[in-house]
Amino acid sequence: MNKHFGKFGWGTGAILALSLALSACGGSNGSNASAGTAGAAGSSASKPVELTMAYMNFGTTTDLQAVQDEISKITKEKINATVKLMPIDVAAWQQQVNLLLAGNENLDLLVTSSFYNYSSQVAKNQLIPLDDLLAQYGTGIKDTMNEKIYNGTKIDGKIYGVPSVRDTAADYGMLMRKDLVDKYGIDLNSLQSFEDLGSVFQTIKDKEPGIIPLVQNTTSQTVASIMYNKDIDLLGDGLGAMLINKNDLKVVNMFDTREYKDAIAQARKWYETGYIMQDAATTQESGNSLVKAGKAFGYLSNMKPGFEQQDSKADGREMVAARFTQPVTQSTSANGFMLSIPRNSRNPERAMQLMNLLYTDKDIVNLLDNGIEGKHYVKNADGTIKMPDGAAQGYLFNQWEVGNNALAGVWEGTPADIWEQMKKFNDSAIFSKALGFTFDASPVKTEVAAATNVLNQYKVGLESGTLDPALLTEFNGKMKAAGLDRIIAEKQKQLDAWAAANAQ
Amino acid sequence: MKNNQMNQTAVHILLILLSAACLFPFLLLFMASFTDEQSIVKDGYTLFPSRLSFAAYDYLWNQASTMTRAYGITIFITAVGTFVGLLISSLLAYPLSRKDMPVRGFLAFVVFFTLLFNGGLVPTYLVYTELFHMKNSLLALIVPGLLTNGFFVLLIRSFFSTSIPVPIIESAYIDGASEFKIFYRIVLPLSLPILATIGLMLTISYWNDWFNGLIYITEPKLFSIQNLLNRMLSNIQFLQQNSLGGNASAAAATIPMNSVRMAMAVIGIVPIVCIYPFFQKYFVKGLTIGAVKG
Amino acid sequence: MRQSRLSETFKKLKRYRALFLMVLPGLAYLIVNNYLPMLGVVIAFKNIDYSHKGLFGLIYYSDWIGFKNFEYLFKTNDALVITRNTLLYNGGFIILNTSIAIALAILLNEVRNRLASRFYQSLVLLPYLISMVIVGYLVLSMLNVENGFVNKQILPMLGMHPISWYSESKYWPYILTIVNLWKNIGYFCIIYLASIIGIDQEFYEAATIDGASKWQQIRSITVPLIAPTITVMTLLGIGRIFYSDFGLFYQVPLNSGPLQPTTDVIDTYVYRGLMTLGDIGMSSAAGLYQALVGFILVMISNYVVARRNREQALF
Repeated sequence: MNKHFGKFGWGTGAILALSLALSACGGSNGSNASAGTAGAAGSSASKPVELTMAYMNFGTTTDLQAVQDEISKITKEKINATVKLMPIDVAAWQQQVNLLLAGNENLDLLVTSSFYNYSSQVAKNQLIPLDDLLAQYGTGIKDTMNEKIYNGTKIDGKIYGVPSVRDTAADYGMLMRKDLVDKYGIDLNSLQSFEDLGSVFQTIKDKEPGIIPLVQNTTSQTVASIMYNKDIDLLGDGLGAMLINKNDLKVVNMFDTREYKDAIAQARKWYETGYIMQDAATTQESGNSLVKAGKAFGYLSNMKPGFEQQDSKADGREMVAARFTQPVTQSTSANGFMLSIPRNSRNPERAMQLMNLLYTDKDIVNLLDNGIEGKHYVKNADGTIKMPDGAAQGYLFNQWEVGNNALAGVWEGTPADIWEQMKKFNDSAIFSKALGFTFDASPVKTEVAAATNVLNQYKVGLESGTLDPALLTEFNGKMKAAGLDRIIAEKQKQLDAWAAANAQ
Repeated sequence: MKNNQMNQTAVHILLILLSAACLFPFLLLFMASFTDEQSIVKDGYTLFPSRLSFAAYDYLWNQASTMTRAYGITIFITAVGTFVGLLISSLLAYPLSRKDMPVRGFLAFVVFFTLLFNGGLVPTYLVYTELFHMKNSLLALIVPGLLTNGFFVLLIRSFFSTSIPVPIIESAYIDGASEFKIFYRIVLPLSLPILATIGLMLTISYWNDWFNGLIYITEPKLFSIQNLLNRMLSNIQFLQQNSLGGNASAAAATIPMNSVRMAMAVIGIVPIVCIYPFFQKYFVKGLTIGAVKG
Repeated sequence: MRQSRLSETFKKLKRYRALFLMVLPGLAYLIVNNYLPMLGVVIAFKNIDYSHKGLFGLIYYSDWIGFKNFEYLFKTNDALVITRNTLLYNGGFIILNTSIAIALAILLNEVRNRLASRFYQSLVLLPYLISMVIVGYLVLSMLNVENGFVNKQILPMLGMHPISWYSESKYWPYILTIVNLWKNIGYFCIIYLASIIGIDQEFYEAATIDGASKWQQIRSITVPLIAPTITVMTLLGIGRIFYSDFGLFYQVPLNSGPLQPTTDVIDTYVYRGLMTLGDIGMSSAAGLYQALVGFILVMISNYVVARRNREQALF
């Protein structure tokens, strides 16, 4: 026994010793961070610093270094700081951000989103409130966007993220191949609602046997969701939603609403008539590549000004749109993409100064969004920009995430006044009464985990028409069993508290 | 003697069928990388595509600098990782295989326990990044995979204890050879089969590792081939299933096509297939992984 | 008594110091890579607050919440389904992988032509070399509803109608089993083959002289002599029976909802929940649960093995 204990004790001792070393290290890191914060406040502009900005990345980063150097040249002069760009691949985003925020690496600006746990990041103290910093260093930001949007990111009355200037509303409709629309003389003006599309699909089905009339661009843009999005505010994840036109801040089960039932019935009708791609629910091909390959006629989508031009590029064919709704601003439209300052930041003041530049400095925005002039783009006579002849794609940034996009050069093919159109579009939208509300799922995490699983099992199937709407009863039953009612009650509680705080 | 062998024709026919089943999807993959993008989307993958195209390899050739760099990193981490991993594993395995080693049972349990239990991703990440500052360094691609868990150590240990005759070690010791010399001069040369097997396993796991890159690397300069491939494949899947609203197609347009993904897979596989025969020739003698208890 | 024992230990340490030195790098590595992070298991019982940084800060300053992080693994209706699926699949994989890999290894060992044998070995190992994401694409290329190889080429030949593979859950237990076999059989086969090659030829020669048939030789020589290998591999499989190959169960069915009744396992369920919640407490809880069950099962099976044959037990 004694012998055994001796052996065991030795092992534990070693582990303990190491863990002590670790805890000492962890502890000192913690105090370093706070000391750093305090120190930076005093010596704001005197010491040069490096600011790291993490954002979602999708594609090419070959010339990242060159762009980063160019941006740093400007920021060095203006705020005595250099910039380090940290592109994180979208598929790895949640995991890497989780790890970054759990650790203690320096991170000054971070793209945040209500779709990626914004509320729980705030609840877990991972982001810092920005109000004071905005008042002191970010004075240029507020004027760049609608006030409702600017304030639409508050949690407990404090701003933790600044929305990018982008399309903060969406209208909904159908995007179609222009050549086929012309060929069969389809009159876009005669199409008034989603139901009217039936005859168009029939024409395509009859006359173009190799072409599927309707596909889904992605499995999150289901056929039914595009039809009900104008009516239903998902309040984040759709587990407990709100009817936009009711204007009553009441959380309901959306899968039980007439709007939802009508939309999936319509989708089912189209699916059974053979308008919708057979494996719409599971295909790995996007609507873009299906249209490009000549396999599909078009898809339903959320839209914005210039959407046809944007997608014509992605589809490799000229596309036209039929729009059926007014623009709508959902509760998550403001906090869908924001810039935040994480607790990891050693220089929050300087980080805010950089953020301010991202909303006010044309040169920096252009570098970040479009790359280096002459290398990644050249200017046309009319002020639009295009790829230099024969250049390979060396830099791509998904600009809607960050900053004031209205300052960036507009690509050839897009209307030059796109940002004026966009502003009008955004301002003319129907605003959800819950704009700015974000749900913190942690009090009901068991239920959310279970309900998410049920959602995944039925949602895309029902909404693409693949599953019989008769299954809706079964779906709702399982949702109930998973605890949807408790989620709805919690959401209602949080929404009421949010409304009360906002009313003051 | 006739009875001692199965009917060779039957054996060959069976094995040829099985090999073909293993090979077929690769042929599909290979052909897809040479297929015109539009015809993949339209007709699916086939062995005899209607339109051939080298566009995918053209695209990769345009990215030659990125690709060569990623190749270099993969080769470097595979070489260093395999060598160091093999060294540490066999150094640890040898004393465990010696029946006279004190606290041997406890040490074996310490190794074995790592097979069953781990602390999870976040704590591991914090240990490596906060304590050892390995984020965005080549070390982060090498160190976490060295032993991974104790499985390989146990395999090597049982080979040592079953295949190295104890009298040889004892007589060498009596002749005044040091333990290190015995290990280096006697034990290792007698253990080529197991070293080749474990070396192959380590090589495969380093070559195919994308997870460490995903966790520890955010610097594009340090991406390995598998990282590049994995990013591409999972980004496209992500876009397909998650909401970016009206921006989805703008994002999708920046991601390479089907055929490029397949071409990436092809150039990821080819080198490891070429390396395999070098390891294989050492599989002449057996390795017994039984009697891990020894 | 104590004194002499201590000095004896000291003497031993001196005698074996070179061996201890050899152990050192590996041991240090395991402590850093495996044991130190194990402190993190307490995260499973905490509501994580990030205002204090570092592993120690996370663990020390967060509030205890008991077993709340574990609830989602047990309290829901899915808990039974995912546990059943995980156990059935992994149990099936252990049995099938072992038996088929041994059969294949015996077959390969029968090939007289060295070059041919190596050639087959390489081909069988090929699928082990590619990632599950690619495997997912290959399976899609076979099973795609509209233009997959099976629906377009094979089923019409058999006079059957196309099948909507990705929405019919009843086929997936077979599909996943086949894909798993296809992918991993080479790896297991090589381990068993190496073990079979190690068997002394004299056993077979003696058996042949006694007139034993090939089948009898396999049954009474080959299998018993590689039994230790089989035991170790099986015990290791049992230890990981609550973990599943995430790629196989997530990438290959393309995360298709209708397939969930037969493809959802603990790992995919946890992943789906975490994508929406991003809660490391919950993932730690799942990890702890999987490890504990595996550990208990290994202890039990090891005990059973040890009762029958002390030599073959792991410890």
